[in-house]
Amino acid sequence: MPASGADSLKPSAFIPVCTAACLLVGSTSMFFVFTCPWLAVTICPAVPPCCAVLFLFVLANFTMATFMDAGVLPVAGEDEDKEDEFRAPLYKNVEVKGVQVRMKWCASCHFYRPPRCSHCSVCDRCVEDFDHHCPWVNNCIGRRNYRYFFLFLLSLTVHMVAVFTFGLIYVLHHMDDLWKLHCLVTLVVISISGLFLIPVLGLTGFHLYLVSRGRTTNEQVTGKFQGGINPFTRGCCSNMEYLVCSPLSPTYTSRPCQKTAVHVRPPFLRPEVDRQMPGKVRGNGIQTLATQNKQSSAGAVELSDIKQLRNPPPLPPKPDRGLLKSQVAVMDDVGHYTKSIIPVSIPTVPQLRPVLEAISRGSSPIPPEQLLKASEQQVTSKGPDLCSDSRESPVRGGVSVQAALQPCTVSSSLQLNSLTLSSRGLTLKHGSRNGSKTQLLSMNPDGLGSNSPAGILTGSSLLAGQCSSGGGGSNKPSYDSLVNPADPQLMAHRGAPAVSYHTHFMALGSDGVVQRPPPHSYSPVFMGVARQSPQPRESASRDPSPSLPGFLQRDSSPAYHGLITRDVQSQSVASRDVPPPGLVMRDVTSQGLQDNLRDLYPHDATLPMSAAARYDNFSKTIMASIQERREQEERERMVRVGARSQVLYGPDVGIYDIPSRRSLPPDNGRPPGSRGPTPPAYGSREFLMSTGILGYGMRTSPLSCSSTSSLTRGPKTSSSPLQSSSSSLQSKGRSSSPAYCPAERHAQAPPSTTTLPRLASSAYPAPPYTSYATAKRSSLPFPSEGKESVTLGALK
Amino acid sequence: MSSFHNLQELRHSASLANKVFIQRDYSEGTTCRFQTKFPSELESRIERTLFEDTVKTLNNFYAEAEKIGGQSYLEGCLACATAYLIFLCMETRYEKVLKKIAKYIQEQNEKIYAPRGLLITDPIERGMRVIEISIYEDRGSSGSSSGSSSVSDSTAR
Repeated sequence: MPASGADSLKPSAFIPVCTAACLLVGSTSMFFVFTCPWLAVTICPAVPPCCAVLFLFVLANFTMATFMDAGVLPVAGEDEDKEDEFRAPLYKNVEVKGVQVRMKWCASCHFYRPPRCSHCSVCDRCVEDFDHHCPWVNNCIGRRNYRYFFLFLLSLTVHMVAVFTFGLIYVLHHMDDLWKLHCLVTLVVISISGLFLIPVLGLTGFHLYLVSRGRTTNEQVTGKFQGGINPFTRGCCSNMEYLVCSPLSPTYTSRPCQKTAVHVRPPFLRPEVDRQMPGKVRGNGIQTLATQNKQSSAGAVELSDIKQLRNPPPLPPKPDRGLLKSQVAVMDDVGHYTKSIIPVSIPTVPQLRPVLEAISRGSSPIPPEQLLKASEQQVTSKGPDLCSDSRESPVRGGVSVQAALQPCTVSSSLQLNSLTLSSRGLTLKHGSRNGSKTQLLSMNPDGLGSNSPAGILTGSSLLAGQCSSGGGGSNKPSYDSLVNPADPQLMAHRGAPAVSYHTHFMALGSDGVVQRPPPHSYSPVFMGVARQSPQPRESASRDPSPSLPGFLQRDSSPAYHGLITRDVQSQSVASRDVPPPGLVMRDVTSQGLQDNLRDLYPHDATLPMSAAARYDNFSKTIMASIQERREQEERERMVRVGARSQVLYGPDVGIYDIPSRRSLPPDNGRPPGSRGPTPPAYGSREFLMSTGILGYGMRTSPLSCSSTSSLTRGPKTSSSPLQSSSSSLQSKGRSSSPAYCPAERHAQAPPSTTTLPRLASSAYPAPPYTSYATAKRSSLPFPSEGKESVTLGALK
Repeated sequence: MSSFHNLQELRHSASLANKVFIQRDYSEGTTCRFQTKFPSELESRIERTLFEDTVKTLNNFYAEAEKIGGQSYLEGCLACATAYLIFLCMETRYEKVLKKIAKYIQEQNEKIYAPRGLLITDPIERGMRVIEISIYEDRGSSGSSSGSSSVSDSTAR
């Protein structure tokens, strides 16, 4: 009898088996003692030995059926189902010999039950090839012991028939001495055997039928293959053969662990893959790219990596993972069902690309979601690689800024002056390039080979430093100001509860530039702006203000464009060290860019950050209009796109939660908040709605039944149905929220989900529930930091 | 750089970063077969051919173990004849093949997967439902923690 399962250990559970055993052994013993001697003498001396052998066979099979592990599957570890907990479909379809078979998620065992596997409520375990739980042996009958159970039934039937027959013969021959002991005992024996023969015979016949049809009791009772084809049958004879002669399956539980440890030590070999190969290996370039990116992040993010990764589509892996997951979900039908635990990796250069671009554009912290969205746009539009483009894109718009800009070669050295200038140039250049389609004025063309994150980082840091230095007009920001502005963002990129505003900078910092934890600063631009005297801001605001509304009204041009223009303007404002050029730049820019700007759609993603960065520079009205516009479009965007990045940049520090593939809406615009955007074949809600919920699940767990999604698996811990409903609802609400935080099994607390609200809100669609929160939050970042963007907060 | 590597080696800094689960291939029924589809997470870690070889070999092992043929007949008859007492003395064919599989996986891990920062877990430990491949990251050179505890061997949980 299995040790697991509370029910099977209850005393009452032992009653049937004990009764059966007692009856069996007792009756047969009586038979042997009282009846067999006469039989041996009268009929044949071989009768008792044969009966004895038969009885031995019955006992052996009875013992095996009772004590043998039926094929209990061990409970899956946490790693395996980590991402499947919420919003995972209840059913997963798999094709067996051409027949679609549904695999149900087992809430107790945390895996999708293999075909023919079922969960035994008595044993509280999933059993392979589950037949039934037999009370007479107090054990599950499954793959391993079905043979013994069947043979037990068969042999017991034969034995009972034999006992009954021989006893009857004896009684008929001793009708005169009916009240003698021997006769009485024999009468009792035959009455017992006759009485139990009928159900046993029925059961044996039933199982004979099942074996011939290749079904289990479970399948027969639930009518699984009633009307359809049973893919598991091999034909009557082959089924019999398989039943009797198949090898004994191994037990999965209580196995001796005889492994010797294999040590995994770096450095690791890597396959000789062509890194420049576009990510189309398996028709899913995103995956490949993500993998490549992940790998490249494994080592130090080096400049060489950037060059190598130039060609692959510049998709940030984080959003890619969302796509990857959704695509994996699609591929599950044929492909493997990969359940990855949270991959943790340093942001790679491709991941940081949008950040780098944002930084290069003037070090105005772009909200992660904006950058991701921008990069997403890049990807969708197959934008050219950042690095390569930045190198190639010519200077557009002869702005006098160029004069002040110098090519910034890839170097991590802090050559402040040149880097400052080059960063500006980068800003312009990258901005235009990022647009990839727009004709932004790119201020600085050549030499901006400083595509290296380090260069960009330092450039942006420098710029930030400049901004933050304030006043002075010194071209040399302090190292602190240089470093600090980047830190918050870098840290935020790590998923720290810091404002996601700083995410990218933080990511950059992780590339190898040691960054101290940022002070409480929000953005370098903000800092700089705040400290600047109102005068320049006002002056600056005047010029760009006309264009800003124009930007805001644009819709759909990449974020970078607007960002660039704004950056240029802000730079001109912020960089007091070069006021005249800056002003000139600004003027020229604003003038020269007017037309271009019209075409540019200041991407809303960038609007909040960069616009906010300039809020102090501009008049309050302008800021208000900008703010309103931004929020409007933000909300729009959030509705359109899923909050994918929210999941990607999970709240866990250093851990990037990989959203369930099912939870990530693909780019084709699933409705936001769609609970499990799995293809209908997976038995998702759509599937079940269309096909009708079939009554396979005799073992539907209350969790699965009661979850609001009706098809999601519910929380891992066996919470109450209500809880599971609420959690699934919460999960639904935060469709892309990292529901896979190991520490947070249940729905994510709002703070954690909105850790990177902007990331999610602007770049990806979020369900209304989330979007509201994120929209709200997105407006908060600036004022939340308590900096000068108080006006922004006031606007909110 | 070399000193950096030495530090890494001294520290055995490999940390578990991810796990890939190769699912069962049920297209031919409930016989034990694993999908040979190459997971994307391993794209940059191991050559496709190596991985496929491993899975195909494992599939062959399992097919051999579950084959209904002469040896399984004999085993069944012997077991019946001895009232299954033979199981106390003798190892079943499946168990023998499982031992071979364990040995094979160990060898693969040592020769091929561990040098690449991967470790295969014997499917029997997961109820023959999945082949679990653990992906390790080079924590030392990455400069930042991957956030998970360092694991240096493949012993199952």
